[in-house]
Amino acid sequence: MVTKPAATETQLMSHLLRRAGFGGTREEIDRFTDAGYEATVDHLLSPPSVESMPQDIIRRYHVDQSDLRIQPATGSNWIYRMVTTDAPLLEKITLFWHRVFATGQTKLIQGKVIMTQLEMFRKLGLGNYRDLLLGLSKDPAMLMWLDNQDNHNGAINENYGREILELFSMGVGNYTEEDIYECSRAFTGWTIANEPYNAQKMRNNTARPYGYIGWQFKYDDSDHDHGDKTFLGETGDFNGEEIVDIICKQPATARFIARHLYHHFVADELPVPQWPHLPPRDPEAIEIMADAYFNSDYNIGEVLRTTFNSDFFKAEATRNARIKSPVEVVVGSLRLSGGYDWPTDDVYDANASCGFMGQGLLAPPSVEGWQGGEDWVSTGSMMQRVNYASKVLGDTSRPGVRKILDSLKPTAGEGDAAALVDASLDNLGYLELGDETRQEIVDFAAAQLAEAENLSGAARTAAIEQTIISVLQLAVATREFQLA
Amino acid sequence: MTTKARSSIDVKYLTTVGFTADFGGRGFHLPTDIAVRSDGHVFVMSRSSHTATPGLRIGECDLEHSFHGEFGSHGTGEGQFIKPTALAIDGRHHLYAADDKLNRITEFDARNNLVRTWGETGDKPGQINGPSGLAFDRQGSLLVVDHLNHRVQKFTPDGRYISQFGSQGQRRGQFNYPWGICVGPDGRIYVADWRNDRVQCFAPDGEFVCMYGKPGNGEGEFNRPSDVAVGPDGSIFVADWMNQRVQVFDSDWRFQTSLRGQATLSPWATEYLAANADEQRARESFQPVIEVDTDDPHEVSARIESYFWDPVAVEVDEEGRLYVLETNRHRFQVYETRS
Repeated sequence: MVTKPAATETQLMSHLLRRAGFGGTREEIDRFTDAGYEATVDHLLSPPSVESMPQDIIRRYHVDQSDLRIQPATGSNWIYRMVTTDAPLLEKITLFWHRVFATGQTKLIQGKVIMTQLEMFRKLGLGNYRDLLLGLSKDPAMLMWLDNQDNHNGAINENYGREILELFSMGVGNYTEEDIYECSRAFTGWTIANEPYNAQKMRNNTARPYGYIGWQFKYDDSDHDHGDKTFLGETGDFNGEEIVDIICKQPATARFIARHLYHHFVADELPVPQWPHLPPRDPEAIEIMADAYFNSDYNIGEVLRTTFNSDFFKAEATRNARIKSPVEVVVGSLRLSGGYDWPTDDVYDANASCGFMGQGLLAPPSVEGWQGGEDWVSTGSMMQRVNYASKVLGDTSRPGVRKILDSLKPTAGEGDAAALVDASLDNLGYLELGDETRQEIVDFAAAQLAEAENLSGAARTAAIEQTIISVLQLAVATREFQLA
Repeated sequence: MTTKARSSIDVKYLTTVGFTADFGGRGFHLPTDIAVRSDGHVFVMSRSSHTATPGLRIGECDLEHSFHGEFGSHGTGEGQFIKPTALAIDGRHHLYAADDKLNRITEFDARNNLVRTWGETGDKPGQINGPSGLAFDRQGSLLVVDHLNHRVQKFTPDGRYISQFGSQGQRRGQFNYPWGICVGPDGRIYVADWRNDRVQCFAPDGEFVCMYGKPGNGEGEFNRPSDVAVGPDGSIFVADWMNQRVQVFDSDWRFQTSLRGQATLSPWATEYLAANADEQRARESFQPVIEVDTDDPHEVSARIESYFWDPVAVEVDEEGRLYVLETNRHRFQVYETRS
């Protein structure tokens, strides 16, 4: 597969940073390798800094990223965060929960309420799952997304009650239709403030007269069903909090969340609708993760710590076993290329590119979010992925690209094509290519460098620079770059 | 309602003018500056969003809620804008508009016809990088907040360079991404020193006079002040942008009061609701002010429609009326102020 021994410390670190973040630059990988693997896991889970580009600066230049009404604004704002954050795992787990607890502007219209939901994921996403599920149940965007404002005492709407079991915690096959009904009764009265007007504005898709109004959770006790409910074998006058308690202690919940985490952080799983019928790719890993869930009192961060430090995560079969999501392609490319030290309209292009590749942020295709895995790749999306990475990493005006270019010039100048290609791959986050692919790029580089030798002065320098850029572009156009 | 807090300045809410109009027409979209002409006509620059480019224009209206039309559009041609920021009106009723992407100033005559466009990108004297605030001094020179060069430059109205003051830093007379600017009745120049969380005051020749404010959300503290205005009596009004409020001071910087906003429905809004019965009905039970469960002023403003949401610009007219322009609510609120 590769020219270097498998699973060196550097390769493992590169693997970890791709999964727990959006990939590392060569300098980051080297620095974390020196710090040690487990120390890096600790660092990622408890980052000393969570800074990213300040919102005041973003809002001043992109005024539409303050009211956050439309998708180009919301998606771009999140791209800024992902590209510039000092805490990439925090964004990766936010992206994870956005995928599992999908809500979309297609229905909710105003993006701000989903951005507020994402902030909740940032705050709770690596913590206790009960807190998160309760936060989700009180989240205005989720309540409106699943119509819980229409769930009244005596007039039950089962939408949220069904999805919290089917999509957000246990998965199909682990509860009955009666459980759904009883669960829904427990969430009666969970709505938002000023619901009639806010819901009407949403339905009419109107920002008139004065823009949208941010939503706020409201519990209406007078509309809550206080009767006894029997849910998953337990009976009582349950409200939503007790329902969440009961859900969180189910083994099915632990396995379901573990399988989602495995799919996002370890290796591509089957599409979720197939889970009730087909076993996990690695049942033993799921059990280890489920045990960590219970042993840590439902702590997601601890489940991830167990995962990242496990043999199954570090295994050769796991490295490069996931197809990058579009957001990983875009954000990973931008973190390598740099150029986001100050607001730039380029961010809107980055956001749109995610959509062209099939992952419009805040615009999941359904309540099930994105399936991921092989679903990410089609003829059209593959073209978008390759073109985007190639464009960004071929842009010498970007400081990260310029830095790589300058560092490779001495090697290229010596005419050693193999050394140039290997150094280029290292600068792309220690990208591992198959032997055949690597050799083709080496042959290309050798031919280009030989032609450059026939030139002199500025023409030779330009030819060498172009060779380096072409090597970088070819490297990110490979199948391997599409894998995490 | 009259706001009076150990204050010698009365501030009384008068009216709200505005309406969300993201594709042009009567109303505004994500406006960034406001200018009031001596005949009472009000000009509002709608910067609009990255994608809703028809929303970018200058709207003209008055306090009687008459809409007089709009001009300017998105683009790089003469009289067009990409990222417009600021407005100012000279003694001839000519309107000047800045664009911090194109680094140029555009002049329109009193009938809103294009006169000229000028500006050269750079950091040398006379060149500009990110013009974000405009004001005329008492000699008729145009002051341009050249915010990415962290300075204020003075030009003739047709763009000839005269002088400059300021540099990047935190010391007095230095700036950190300054934004709005105004000239007081005594000729002094006030600059919202945005990322230094203060307002600085200069003599007409650019000599430093004083500075006021520090980071925070208490009285006399600012969080990214975006603009400043001075009334005929010397009262000072600061758009305390990230704190989502306007702070009022007397001419000696003694804190008077703080405004959070109390917008009502403008006639434009009322007419819209009258034409959309479903929304009008749904609004009957609407509680404008709710008890919020967050301390974040930006989020509070998002949830309470009558509050300022990104109060980006303040202006005071000759009669002492205060205009507060809100980017995210596409409107301006007007207050009567009296010492």
